[in-house]
Amino acid sequence: MDKYDITLIVNGRSSTVSVEPRKLLVDVLREDLGLKGTHIGCEHGVCGTCTVLLKGRSIRSCITFAVQADGAEIRTVEGLANGADLHPLQDEFWTKQGLQCGYCTPGMLMRACEIIEQNPDPSPEQVREGIASNLCRCTGYQFIIEAVCAAAGRMRGEEQRPDQATMPTEAKA
Amino acid sequence: MKPPPFRYAAPTSVEEVLDLLAANADAEPRVLAGGQSLVPLMNFRLAQPGFLVDLRLVEALTTLRTERDVLVIGAMVRQSAVERSPEVALAAPLLVEALGYVAHPPIRNSGTVGGSLAHADPSAELPAVALALDAELLTAGPSGTRTIPAAEFFRGPFTTALEPGEILTEVRIPRREGVGGYAFVEFARTHGNFALVGVAAVIEMEKDIVTGASITLSGVASTPVRAAAAERALAGTSADAATIEVAVDAAADELSPAGDLHGSTATRTDIARSCLRGGIQLALSRAQDRR
Amino acid sequence: MTTASRPAPPPIRTHKDGRNWVGKSIRRLEDPKFLRGRGGYIGDMTLPGMLHVAVLSSPYAHARITGINTDAALAAPGVHAVITGAQAAELTDPLPDFGPNPAAHTWRCLAVEKVRYVGEGVAVVVADSRYLAEDALALIDVEYEPLPPVVDPERALDEGAPLVHEDLGSNCAYERTFQFGEVDRDFADADVVITDRLRWRRSGGQPLETVGAIADFEVATGQLTVHTNSLSFTSYLFMVAGTLKIPANKLDIRPMPAGGSFGSKLFATKPAVIAAMCSRAVGRPVVYLEDRIDNISNCDHHGSDRVYDVQLALMRDGTMRSIKIDTVDDYGAYIQFGVGHHGNALAQVVGPYRIASVEYRVRAALTNKNQQGAYRGFGSEVNNWMLEQMVDKAARELGLDPVEIRRHNFIRDFPYFIPTGNVYDSGDYDGVLDKALKLAEYDHWRAEQVKAREEGRYIGIGLITAQERSVFSATEFWFWFDTPGAPVTSMPESVTLKVDATGGITATLYSCAFWGNSPETMVAQLVAEEFDCDPHDVSIVYQGSKNGLPATGPGGSRTTVMLAGAVEGATAKIKAKARRATGYMLEANPDDLEWVDGGYQVKGSPEARKTLAEIAVMLHLFKHSFPEDMESGLEESKVFDHPYTTMPSADRKDLGVFYPFMGHACHVPVIEVDIETGQVSFLSYAAVHDCGTLVNPRSLAGHIVGGTAQGIGTALYEEFVYDEEGQLLTSSYLDYLIPTAIEVPELKIGHHETPSPWTPHGIKGGGEGGRMMAPAAINVAVNDALAPLGVRLTELPMTPDRILAAIRAARESR
Ligand SMILES: Cc1cc2nc3c(=O)[nH]c(=O)nc-3n(C[C@H](O)[C@H](O)[C@H](O)COP(=O)(O)OP(=O)(O)OC[C@H]3O[C@@H](n4cnc5c(N)ncnc54)[C@H](O)[C@@H]3O)c2cc1C
Ligand code: FES
Ligand code: FES
Repeated sequence: MDKYDITLIVNGRSSTVSVEPRKLLVDVLREDLGLKGTHIGCEHGVCGTCTVLLKGRSIRSCITFAVQADGAEIRTVEGLANGADLHPLQDEFWTKQGLQCGYCTPGMLMRACEIIEQNPDPSPEQVREGIASNLCRCTGYQFIIEAVCAAAGRMRGEEQRPDQATMPTEAKA
Repeated sequence: MKPPPFRYAAPTSVEEVLDLLAANADAEPRVLAGGQSLVPLMNFRLAQPGFLVDLRLVEALTTLRTERDVLVIGAMVRQSAVERSPEVALAAPLLVEALGYVAHPPIRNSGTVGGSLAHADPSAELPAVALALDAELLTAGPSGTRTIPAAEFFRGPFTTALEPGEILTEVRIPRREGVGGYAFVEFARTHGNFALVGVAAVIEMEKDIVTGASITLSGVASTPVRAAAAERALAGTSADAATIEVAVDAAADELSPAGDLHGSTATRTDIARSCLRGGIQLALSRAQDRR
Repeated sequence: MTTASRPAPPPIRTHKDGRNWVGKSIRRLEDPKFLRGRGGYIGDMTLPGMLHVAVLSSPYAHARITGINTDAALAAPGVHAVITGAQAAELTDPLPDFGPNPAAHTWRCLAVEKVRYVGEGVAVVVADSRYLAEDALALIDVEYEPLPPVVDPERALDEGAPLVHEDLGSNCAYERTFQFGEVDRDFADADVVITDRLRWRRSGGQPLETVGAIADFEVATGQLTVHTNSLSFTSYLFMVAGTLKIPANKLDIRPMPAGGSFGSKLFATKPAVIAAMCSRAVGRPVVYLEDRIDNISNCDHHGSDRVYDVQLALMRDGTMRSIKIDTVDDYGAYIQFGVGHHGNALAQVVGPYRIASVEYRVRAALTNKNQQGAYRGFGSEVNNWMLEQMVDKAARELGLDPVEIRRHNFIRDFPYFIPTGNVYDSGDYDGVLDKALKLAEYDHWRAEQVKAREEGRYIGIGLITAQERSVFSATEFWFWFDTPGAPVTSMPESVTLKVDATGGITATLYSCAFWGNSPETMVAQLVAEEFDCDPHDVSIVYQGSKNGLPATGPGGSRTTVMLAGAVEGATAKIKAKARRATGYMLEANPDDLEWVDGGYQVKGSPEARKTLAEIAVMLHLFKHSFPEDMESGLEESKVFDHPYTTMPSADRKDLGVFYPFMGHACHVPVIEVDIETGQVSFLSYAAVHDCGTLVNPRSLAGHIVGGTAQGIGTALYEEFVYDEEGQLLTSSYLDYLIPTAIEVPELKIGHHETPSPWTPHGIKGGGEGGRMMAPAAINVAVNDALAPLGVRLTELPMTPDRILAAIRAARESR
């Protein structure tokens, strides 16, 4: 089959790759661009494990052909942290134990990003409904919801980082 | 679960789309809208089109505007854009309410209005809404354009009046600013999943008397269906509780939904009753609030 | 009794007070890489030249394979090999199987003459990419001759039913009736016998990451390296080597982090065998990673699927005397773990209640379905559900209060031997119950329920009190047979602790993969507790099977307890050496030294002191400062054997101790049933668990919520549905319904800590509890809600369809 040259602007970096039209966006991100943080859970659109932001909006990259994203800006979990500094969402997921196996986590984080960007002050119920688009098989969602609310608070500048004494930072390890 | 190979094009005009469909007719071509139904089917290899015509660059299909008495939504308008549109909220709040039940926000960010209507899933919300709102569907094909009333568009499960090589271009919905009450109510087993039953209801009242009711159901037949018996039972009444029960019973008596693993015929009928009652009550209370 | 010669229990431990790190909810060591999307799962790994496998699966439940043509597939672009079941049977031997009489129901990586369930593998394609491999699958031409399927487990046992395995001569893979205690006497003495027939249908772990393996066979050396997310690899290594017909010492299995397991990645050997077979065939690294269809239909890990006929004998005041349990379990087409699931049930068969005797009849039926494997609870959760339904029914029929009937029967003297021979080490069931009633606002909800009923609303409160066994011993896999397959099994876990020259500590774990639990955090907290360091400064290494120490792997909630034992043992060795070295360094008698705050010092003169780093640097670099018999370095290992397990009696009237560290919980969901739609929604949910001493309370809470969410799935949503033809109707997540955040309520969680007398720090396992309680509790709650209608649900999951059908039936019978 013919290949198409497409350009994806992923986490601010533009890359041109040559792909078969049938290649799923998630596979192009993982295989052609080496960004393994976006995971595959079901490949039929239900679980949300493959969630990325396309033009600022969450989508399922397992039911999107990469050619459909030609020219678009994409954000993935790899773009969240700023070097050694975790994004507040990542930091709060860590503190609140909003993950266990970590497999749903990148998709959850990206969906949470969109939720907070659309509504910087969501109620726990709104977060619950918002993340209901993504399955997590481990956590039962409760600590994810707590983490998203706490991160939103921090991003609004209302809440402080958690106590560093009992919560040593990543860099220290 | 990887899709089979296909040839691909992303043209910019409706004419080119039609030409490509015609030129590749022997490859079982399909158009690709948001892909939220088509790509899963291809991942399961249940659909194996040899040629896909991607509609995403066709500007003409992305219109969202109000004309004098209609709301016009281009086939390629994303469901989430419709949901957020203030124009739609005014002209067709039923559509906005129904969209809240269509899958999840990330799927609505990609999924299109035209894709949902053209896909014609018997459980889908939008076809029932189109029917309830007496929408018209505009198509373009090798033999020109057509305007098809929603009542004639849905022909069977995943089957519409579209001819091979013909595409849906826009949907035209009569505006109902400030008229009557509306409701979309459904029952799905888990949040965001396809519903077992959905009910779209629009009720108009004058001086406490129902002057018009349009009630449709999804999930109970091979296409969305009109609950004509319920509409008749409500018309001209004050729609008190007893009348609503009569209307619900009348509508339910006409149903014989096919059973499947999520619900037998009896279960789906029970649930349809509940949704009908809920939909009628909510639409009524909104119609009453309006006055 | 035949238990006369039970060996003495291990010595009672005294647990230290004032712990620094055990009991703290520190952030997990595991998390930063996962938060950054750098988890390094099996799907993230690529080896140079790696090829991809796809499996062609059977569309029939039961059919003879009369022909396979692979020519077109072999000629397809990018295809390197196509291997059929018949060819695979030459390349490999049967898969590891603990079932009774495995030769009579041979299980292979691909079906040979016959397919036995929808989804069973028939052939594999090895190609340049998964896309190309799937393209080629479509070109394989298989001729089938359909056979009548057997789908219902009870019909499967009927005379004349179609046979899943002709060699077995029937579909009954195992049958036995056990009697523990004086069942007939206790039944004769009882005032009433409550009977019921209950049905628990199959669901499964369904982790979001499927199972996979990358195999790399080196032709030159005959060395096979397998990277996999399947757990317990040291246990199955030699068996997989046997299947692959290679020497065990030529196989190295390396663990990858798993994106969830919930049991379903335990002993998942088929993907590794398929990948290895293909790698050897093509001489290149090969990956086989299941897709979701494979994982739903062909994972070998569906959960329990049981029919129960139960009789519970009681006195009129609610005193429970005896129970007779008769169960048929639908194992599907194979029975890889035998009836070990029922061993789990027998470990806690009487729940927290003083029930003096038990009759247990189990029949394992083979049918045309994907086989059972492991799912959080491993069959004990089903027993919890069954027992609590019986207790609930008894309370209703005897007019007793559901709280009081439970309290009335609680076990209060520990250690307590239950009739099967297993022991409950410790517990405080009243304490847990009291906490739960308060946390749940039980009285408030009872009052709300009265009001709601007046308004025509159906609110139900589900109170259950049940057990959570932990730390299994393998006797439960063979006490089914009169001749022991083995003497008592030790099931060890091992840890190596290394203190480097700067005092930094590295812990090496064996057979211990990550799957969403917290082995690194647990071990780091335990090490920090021993050495007074910061747990985030501890480094953790997961060792592959090569150079590994004896280890069993996770399962049966054993990891934390067993690792704690190993850490404790390795620490003792390190500290002994460090103490001795310090004695030389300070010219003091080692007996006069004490460990204080990360170093050794002379009792009474704290200025005479050496920190661990000071000791370590000396031991690493300046060995000659020490006597001849002290070796350089500071590194010690401990192989920690199961602390308490005993042999079954010869007559199997006593199964011995095999699951001794007994957790307990009380769950109190409050639900409302919409009787028009059959929808169940939660108004409140409280859960109190007692898993002994807590290591990381928040991690445990996370497991309780997550397990409860899965239990909610089992109770209300999840079912692998096979129709009468054996077709799997739930082969996608649109039909196999996993609860989303909307279906899972916010839990109020309470912890109660009754330490075990026999484990380090008093820890008990606690990873499975949520799912072991929730199905029982929700079923009780639904029945409580619907009682005014005369409706009682006896089948899980309680779907709208089943609830509405029951309501309609009750209306019609009025
Ligand atoms: C997990 C999940 C849950 C879902 N739940 C729901 C739900 O609850 N309710 C619901 O209604 N939907 C649901 N959907 C489907 C979703 O709403 C789809 O977005 C929608 O049905 C199709 O829109 P699309 O733009 O993605 O169309 P596509 O998938 O691109 O196309 C669908 C079909 O329509 C044809 N088509 C598309 N556009 C046109 C056109 N303009 N002219 C002619 N033919 C056209 C295509 O050729 C294709 O055959 C769900 C999907 C997923 C993955
Ligand atoms: S992997 Fe994309 S939604 Fe499941
Ligand atoms: S943390 Fe494992 S699936 Fe969410």
